[in-house]
Amino acid sequence: MCQFAPMRPAPNQQATAKTKAAILLFILCCLLSTGPLAFEAPSPGWRDDISRRSDQRFAALKANLPASGVVGYIGETGDSATPDYYLTQYALAPLVVDLSPNHAIVVGNFPSSPPAQIPQNLRSVKDFGNGVMLFSSKEAN
Amino acid sequence: MFILAFALCMALGYLAITSLWSQKKSIWSESMIRISLTPGFGLAIFSVVFWLTRLSGNAHVVAFDVLLLILLGFTYAVQRSRTANEAPAKYTLSSRAKMNCPVFSGNSSQSRDLASAPQSLDQGLLNTPEIKPPKWLARVSTASFAIALIAALHRATLRVVAHPHGEGWDAFAIWNLHARFLFLGGSHWRDGFNSMIPWSHPDYPLLLPAAIAHFWSYLGHDDPLVPAIVGLFFTFSTLALLVSSLVSLQGRNAGLLGGLALASTPFFVEQGTSQYADVPLSFYILASFVLLHVASRHNSHLNLAPAMLSGMAAGFAAWTKNEGLLFVSSLLVAQVSHAVSNSRQQDSSPEFAGNWRTLAYSVLGAAPLLFLIGWFKHTIAIPGDLFSSPSTMIQEILTPTRWWIISQWFAKELLRFGNWWIIPGTIAMLAFYLVIFPRRKSESQPALRTSAMTLFLTLAGYFAIYLITPRDLYWHLRFSLNRLFLQLWPSAIFLFFVLVGPQLWPRSQIGRSPQNGKL
Repeated sequence: MCQFAPMRPAPNQQATAKTKAAILLFILCCLLSTGPLAFEAPSPGWRDDISRRSDQRFAALKANLPASGVVGYIGETGDSATPDYYLTQYALAPLVVDLSPNHAIVVGNFPSSPPAQIPQNLRSVKDFGNGVMLFSSKEAN
Repeated sequence: MFILAFALCMALGYLAITSLWSQKKSIWSESMIRISLTPGFGLAIFSVVFWLTRLSGNAHVVAFDVLLLILLGFTYAVQRSRTANEAPAKYTLSSRAKMNCPVFSGNSSQSRDLASAPQSLDQGLLNTPEIKPPKWLARVSTASFAIALIAALHRATLRVVAHPHGEGWDAFAIWNLHARFLFLGGSHWRDGFNSMIPWSHPDYPLLLPAAIAHFWSYLGHDDPLVPAIVGLFFTFSTLALLVSSLVSLQGRNAGLLGGLALASTPFFVEQGTSQYADVPLSFYILASFVLLHVASRHNSHLNLAPAMLSGMAAGFAAWTKNEGLLFVSSLLVAQVSHAVSNSRQQDSSPEFAGNWRTLAYSVLGAAPLLFLIGWFKHTIAIPGDLFSSPSTMIQEILTPTRWWIISQWFAKELLRFGNWWIIPGTIAMLAFYLVIFPRRKSESQPALRTSAMTLFLTLAGYFAIYLITPRDLYWHLRFSLNRLFLQLWPSAIFLFFVLVGPQLWPRSQIGRSPQNGKL
């Protein structure tokens, strides 16, 4: 038989108006942030362009490249240069895309404008349109 | 095929959890914790299985899955029959029960009385009717949580549709890229982890990429919906785990308020659907803490399974992101220091989480994952980019300006990392604590102390990494600190409500319930 010691008053028995007010205030603070959650969501039908900038653009080129290995890369300069390069790698994986023109096969990515000049060691193999080009090294031939 | 793969993933997760942690009579609130843990554990197992098949050069992932399913199913059946044949375990009261009825603690004869009681004590505790808050307040809490949950679901769904490839560079430049190398690379999958593309962080662990690749292997193509759905699962599993664990440990009111705090953190929903690894990491950190608390609530052999699962969750955290390794180290230090401190005090209480046995089982749970990570780091990954030469690092550590800048950013980011509107969630919680500040000294809660120390050590580790980073400090802080805080945010909410829970109409009130009074 278990004997209970005299109970301390349970804390919740002492629940005061202050506690209730604190809970209500806390709930209010949380709900304030819930509003933007609901209203600042992207509108239905809006889609970003990662797929258009990577998989779709490079689909034809990818079919002409080896299944694995390393290819070089040349592209535009400026703010979009880095994301353009990353998106090319994303689209062409499992090929490794090295940010260098010193490879037998080199991918060209010029989404805004055609290249003013290409490195002298490269020759153009094919223009896939939409700024996607394939080069090969002159030395490799 | 996706449904089949999904069902298999969930089955593996559930069986792995229940093979270790099952009870004769199911306790609904603990069942909810198990169910909330299932997606995270299932995805982690999926990840490990896929990576092992890649390492072994074996392309038969399905065969591997089926074999594992049979093995876990068998273990589960054995465990169930063992549990069913077991004599009722001896129980002593948990710290929360002690808090309300001190006469029980540490008395073996009373333990025997309890063993012969019609229900186990923990079960009695958990099934004890809650003392209800006023009806109107309960309704307000429930409605608020429901609103926040619906808003979060609404936003998450729209974001997944709008950003099927994730949002932000890390999604396609790191996590999904690694997944593509693992899935599409075939025997050349290692190409994606070489030094030619260092910006993709080939040293990052593979839980997320390998789990995604595993799903793709069932589908036969790299469907972008898979990482999006995985992100959704982690986001809402984290929320479910937080709510179910708080309901189980501190009652419905604490569970709803904790869930509300997380669901109404805009940055949590944004990151969860961005296909980054920070929310998955936050899930495993939270899971480790929750299971540590469950372990501390039970005693005898029953705490060993949750302790082992806690270690496994910590191991999964380390398999998710490098920050997880820091978390595992912090958890280990906190548990060891707690065990040492208890040994010194000659505390023979069998229930506390930090004892050596619990620690040993935690380590046992984490060990296979740590071995896997060690192997990955040693044989596949290239060295990370956060460490420079010792002399440079010492020089950076000794630069007071860096300390000042990082401290300022930590302080600022505490107020803004959640992208809250008007009132930061951290301030709301602080104000809440100050208003309901417990007037009496709180009872010892070893799991809470261990967890809080772990959280603090992890934060200190983040601070130290910023001190030595070879990158531009402002750039590094600007693009990572909010996500580091987010990794710990669900756990911080959990620990906060475990701390203040006794003030919020908690579940167990021994002595007030007629069924306990009869014991």
